[in-house]
Amino acid sequence: MASRANAMLSRASRMKQKLQTALEASVLEIEDVSYQHAGHAGVKGDATETHFNVKIVSPKFEGQSLVKRHRLVYDLLTEELQSGLHALSIVAKTPQEVGRS
Amino acid sequence: MDEPQKIMATALRAPLCSRLIPSLKSYSLSSASPQALHFNLLSKPLSLSSPHASSKLRKRASLTLVFSLQKLSETQAFPVSGEEGEFLGKFPSDSGVYAVFDKDSHLQFIGISRSIAASVAAHKKALPELCFSVKFGVVDDPDRAALTNAWKSWMEERISSVGKVPPGNESGNTTWVRRPRQKPDLRLTPGRHVQLTVPLEELIDQLVKENEVVVFIKGSRSSPLCGFSQRVVGILNEAGVDYESVDVLDEEYNSGLRETLKMYSNWPTFPQVFVKGELVGGADILSSMADNGSLAQLFRR
Repeated sequence: MASRANAMLSRASRMKQKLQTALEASVLEIEDVSYQHAGHAGVKGDATETHFNVKIVSPKFEGQSLVKRHRLVYDLLTEELQSGLHALSIVAKTPQEVGRS
Repeated sequence: MDEPQKIMATALRAPLCSRLIPSLKSYSLSSASPQALHFNLLSKPLSLSSPHASSKLRKRASLTLVFSLQKLSETQAFPVSGEEGEFLGKFPSDSGVYAVFDKDSHLQFIGISRSIAASVAAHKKALPELCFSVKFGVVDDPDRAALTNAWKSWMEERISSVGKVPPGNESGNTTWVRRPRQKPDLRLTPGRHVQLTVPLEELIDQLVKENEVVVFIKGSRSSPLCGFSQRVVGILNEAGVDYESVDVLDEEYNSGLRETLKMYSNWPTFPQVFVKGELVGGADILSSMADNGSLAQLFRR
């Protein structure tokens, strides 16, 4: 994918692209909550697109501990994390887990 | 330091009340007239002649305070019966200093509070046999410095008259104070300009292997600087777990830690919680473990 075209999209859209196919997500919700963290330690200057809530339901999480699931998500978002993405609140469930509730 | 000052310095190390704990490390008292008290207050053990002392600190350092607080001995004591609703009328909800006396009218404890009524009520409930009457002094413009000074003036008056600190204020005494002072954060290195003989990654590795629970947070455990770090500290404190904390934002003693730790744990964010040498996760994971009960299992030996 042309990285120039990508740069035009918002971070949330880029994140969606990267996570959707790789995880075959049946549910993928991404919310920019950077405004909640504006002015807190470690957030220099612009506090936009720095903190996100991510909810994913994916069969790929089957049999994986929470740490492993989060790592999977983080690995897919390496580029974002190196370009200003600060923190993610991740809810990572399998379809079965969601079905149970 | 002469006797009253020595005693005072010891009293200062003891927590005053669970809500407000002054963190003054040293002070010196010069001249004391009944109403005007002069204090040299240092909130950090920083020498004023050092080139790093800002003018702000210098100004704060010699403070002359004149306040209208009555002397402890001249303040009226109010009996505390413990009846419902008693505290509403008799004691103010204002901030100030208070002194608790037992049934023999012996002074047990001098404390400060953001709400005198609430503190008295709490003490009566927790220690009914020690709480028979209370004196109080409301402090106007109650910032932490003003409250601490009010407390000091009563404490000094007491020390001058009987030569020692009330039993409840002795260092280490936690009868009146619910939570003892928190553990200090660990530092990875002796300082930024000290050459490391061992790579930082190895220091991290040693740290998480030698301590059962280690959290790497933004800020100190007593004042975390980020909501996620605060959550983790809160969860661990509530669980009563013994843990070590490391401030990843400390550029003096933990310089370079953030980047090295991210690579070490293969985890891009903070806080990071390690148990028995392994990364357990961040705030989200710890929260969900606390919710579903798996946290208790994790800490059971």
